[in-house]
Amino acid sequence: MKKIMVGNHAVSWGVMLSRAEVISAYPITPQTTIVEELSVLCADGRLKAKFIPVESEHSAMACCVGAAAAGVRTFTATSGQGLALMHEMLHWASGARLPIVMATVNRALGSPWNIWGEQTDSLSQRDTGWLQLYCESNQEVLDTVIQAFKIAEEISLPVMLNLDAFFLSHTAEPVEIPEQSLVDDFLPPYQPEFRLDPKNPHSFGCMTPPEYYMEFRYKIQQSMLQGKAVAQQVDDAFGRVFGRKYGLIEPYRCEGADLILITSGAIASTARVVVDNLREKGRKVGMVKVRLFRPFPKDELLEILRQVEKVAVVDRNVSFGVGGIFAHEMRAALCNEKVRPAIFSYIAGLGGRDVTPPVLNDVIYQTYKRQEPEAQSVWVGMRS
Amino acid sequence: MPEQIIFKREEDMPYLPITFGSMAWNKTGTWRYLRPKFENKISPCIEGCPAGQDIEGAMVLIGKGKILQAWDLFKEENPFPAVCGRVCFHPCESSCNRGEFDEAVSINALERFMADMASRHGRKPLGKREKRKEKAAIVGSGPAGLTCAYHLARLGYGVTVFEALPVLGGMLRVGIPEYRLPKKVLEEEIDQILELGVKAEVNVRLGKDFLMNDLKEYQAIFLAMGNHQSKSLGIPGEDTQGIMSGLEFLKNVNLGKAVALGKRVAVIGGGNTAIDAARSVLRLGSKPFILYRRTREEMPAFLGEILEAEEEGIEISYLVSPVRVIAENGKVSRLECLKNRLGPADEDGRRRPVEIKGSNFFLEVDQVIAAIGEEADLSPLPKKLGLKENAVLTDERGATRQKGVFAGGDIIQQPRTVVHAIGSGKRAAIFIDCFLKKKKWEGLFEAIRIGEQGTLSMKRYLQAENERASLSSKTVRLKDLNLDYFDYKKRKKMPKTQVAKRVGSFEEVNQGYAEETAVAEAKRCFNCGVCNLCDNCYIYCPDVAILKQGEDGPNVIDYDHCKGCGICVEECPRDAMVMEEERR
Repeated sequence: MKKIMVGNHAVSWGVMLSRAEVISAYPITPQTTIVEELSVLCADGRLKAKFIPVESEHSAMACCVGAAAAGVRTFTATSGQGLALMHEMLHWASGARLPIVMATVNRALGSPWNIWGEQTDSLSQRDTGWLQLYCESNQEVLDTVIQAFKIAEEISLPVMLNLDAFFLSHTAEPVEIPEQSLVDDFLPPYQPEFRLDPKNPHSFGCMTPPEYYMEFRYKIQQSMLQGKAVAQQVDDAFGRVFGRKYGLIEPYRCEGADLILITSGAIASTARVVVDNLREKGRKVGMVKVRLFRPFPKDELLEILRQVEKVAVVDRNVSFGVGGIFAHEMRAALCNEKVRPAIFSYIAGLGGRDVTPPVLNDVIYQTYKRQEPEAQSVWVGMRS
Repeated sequence: MPEQIIFKREEDMPYLPITFGSMAWNKTGTWRYLRPKFENKISPCIEGCPAGQDIEGAMVLIGKGKILQAWDLFKEENPFPAVCGRVCFHPCESSCNRGEFDEAVSINALERFMADMASRHGRKPLGKREKRKEKAAIVGSGPAGLTCAYHLARLGYGVTVFEALPVLGGMLRVGIPEYRLPKKVLEEEIDQILELGVKAEVNVRLGKDFLMNDLKEYQAIFLAMGNHQSKSLGIPGEDTQGIMSGLEFLKNVNLGKAVALGKRVAVIGGGNTAIDAARSVLRLGSKPFILYRRTREEMPAFLGEILEAEEEGIEISYLVSPVRVIAENGKVSRLECLKNRLGPADEDGRRRPVEIKGSNFFLEVDQVIAAIGEEADLSPLPKKLGLKENAVLTDERGATRQKGVFAGGDIIQQPRTVVHAIGSGKRAAIFIDCFLKKKKWEGLFEAIRIGEQGTLSMKRYLQAENERASLSSKTVRLKDLNLDYFDYKKRKKMPKTQVAKRVGSFEEVNQGYAEETAVAEAKRCFNCGVCNLCDNCYIYCPDVAILKQGEDGPNVIDYDHCKGCGICVEECPRDAMVMEEERR
């Protein structure tokens, strides 16, 4: 069945199909309609879940932590400032090895106030031990919710899926709704090894002295690395059942390319059009969409990028003092390789500014023109 | 604590930080160094009630529609809720914390409401205890005497009441007019006392028809003859025909005797008797006017009564003193008066009237009613009881110097109100019981008194020592409440008979609440200091350490898991919880 739906409702329907059992969330633009729809689904019985309204995002995540520790499938969603407020609990969720799934509608952070799209909110949480996936379309959003639960429960780590504010969250697209029975087979009920049970009390996240703490951290790192393979397997399996797969990264027309544009989220859609146009003109330009950001898919990227001279990374985010965060991660990932492309870093589309084909053409033009990358990220699409 | 497990290698460790052994040994309550506790305190209304009625408890019950049970609670302490609900000056309301917040709860009107409801349902006071062989004599059948009789009868004693007048009730019967306290209302409550087996003899006056010595067959005596002797004006012409005392006038009216009044009736005095007399005169078709020597500010009558008299158009002249009665044909015709100004304050704090020389003036009058105060006739009493300044001396129990003789009501040194009389009657009953059972009474005050200022609780007295819940000595004030939980709500007004209908009729002025009004009014009560199961503690406890025990509670604290954060105490709207230091 196909339905026309906005990205936020694609999240809600993905959660419904995944049969989440506890949802706790606090509304924030542009995430609100996710939980609004979920509360409707809970209220009319289509989703048999406990919906817990709370007074803050911090509490929302605390609720999810408690519920997940009690052994139920747990979901929340937030955005921008809300995610920032949740920060402390994000560490707890991963440290306690709880497979919570959260949708983040990427929104620029204040000050100054801005409710539009930017990834700095989720990328600020990259060290919290959560897997991060970035989606390009509403269909991918729905499918990724289902995949996220499976990945999370497999490796006992929380997963955050990200979608661009308004470009996806509030824009309607046709979305194929998977059969519930198929989803049920793909994602069986959550069966944790340990479960919070008042009748058989154990201490969860108890005081752990220096003699033991490091080992627990090491296990998280191992699971996170394992998460890459698991994410790949889950995507493959999803593809076999539902006929759609996305990969950890997605190369687009990279065959024989001398320049590859790297981006993520909704910008990837625009990039496809730009690449198509340039290919028609005979330019050997390709594009790679990075879908999995944590753990960072270094090997998969290297496989594609090894052959090219120049890579242009377009970041809708910024780490002040460094520049674009994807570009930064790329450089770090490739720095020990003997043969590696030059990484050109561009910042575009902050605070919801449109990243149009001319902006991306400008990125490609500048990358061709320069011998060496600039020392700092180049800001494109600026007022001039 | 289970034995320690040592992990040698990373692979041996679980993937998440969890204890392998059960944590059931670790009750998290051990982290606590302060502990919350449910502790009911004193509601100021109860402490303020000289009859010691459980007003707060009754408000909860009325709020739940359990009106007859509320009446039972009052009746435990006071045989006269229907009377008090009409004539009490309700110090409970002056003490009500709600008064400082918006308006005091209309306790007096609610007391009347539940009494009227009990009457409609033919409700009777709860039965008496096992019969005892001792007997008590009670002299005087006013509120003090009958209250003492009621409680003694319920305690199982044989009681005989001796009354000088032909009817029972004392001042309630002969001093208070019908429009404030209908006879049938009073009679119903008196009948309930008699139904407990109390014997009553009327038309027997102490000192005339019998003497103290004639009461030898009684092991205890309670004296409560009241103040039935009017003070005289002490001015020339006082014995002229057409002059009578306020009390005599009211007594005659109340006993249904024909009273001949002229057209213009001067009522002298500023107390309740003067107001009652003037309003009765109005109802008998004459024109009353009140002369009072000070100003309205110093008037001892209750404000509500003054306001109603004014509503009815009764003229009150202030700063006026009569100095001479002038007779014509042997009958009063004019009253010579002087004007006063206010001088320095008296020993009682009220400013004293000072006559203005030469300010004499004359008033045409057909009748003068002097209501300037009443006093006791203590002449039949032996000196050895201990008498002083027209009062019988008593100790804190209400006992006189003569063994087994107690006294109360207006003849002892206490405020002369119905409710104080009732309080003294109950106190005497308690200590007569102690006396007859030869029980020690030291320490009893602390155990059964409500608050530092308050009076005694019969309910607590009747409880065995070990079943008496410990009673805090703290009275809850407005500052002790968490006012975030209370809304402003107007006090419900009681309907009254229209002024035009009041004149010329002794119909009751106050008409009483309708049930829904009463329930709504009772719900205005803050329930100061007493847990009413609002469950704020239960809702707020982050450790789910408040345990509910069914609909009627009480809530209890699970100290195994309470961490002593104190949120429950902080969020208790009514100061019914405290934090105390953890005992180690």
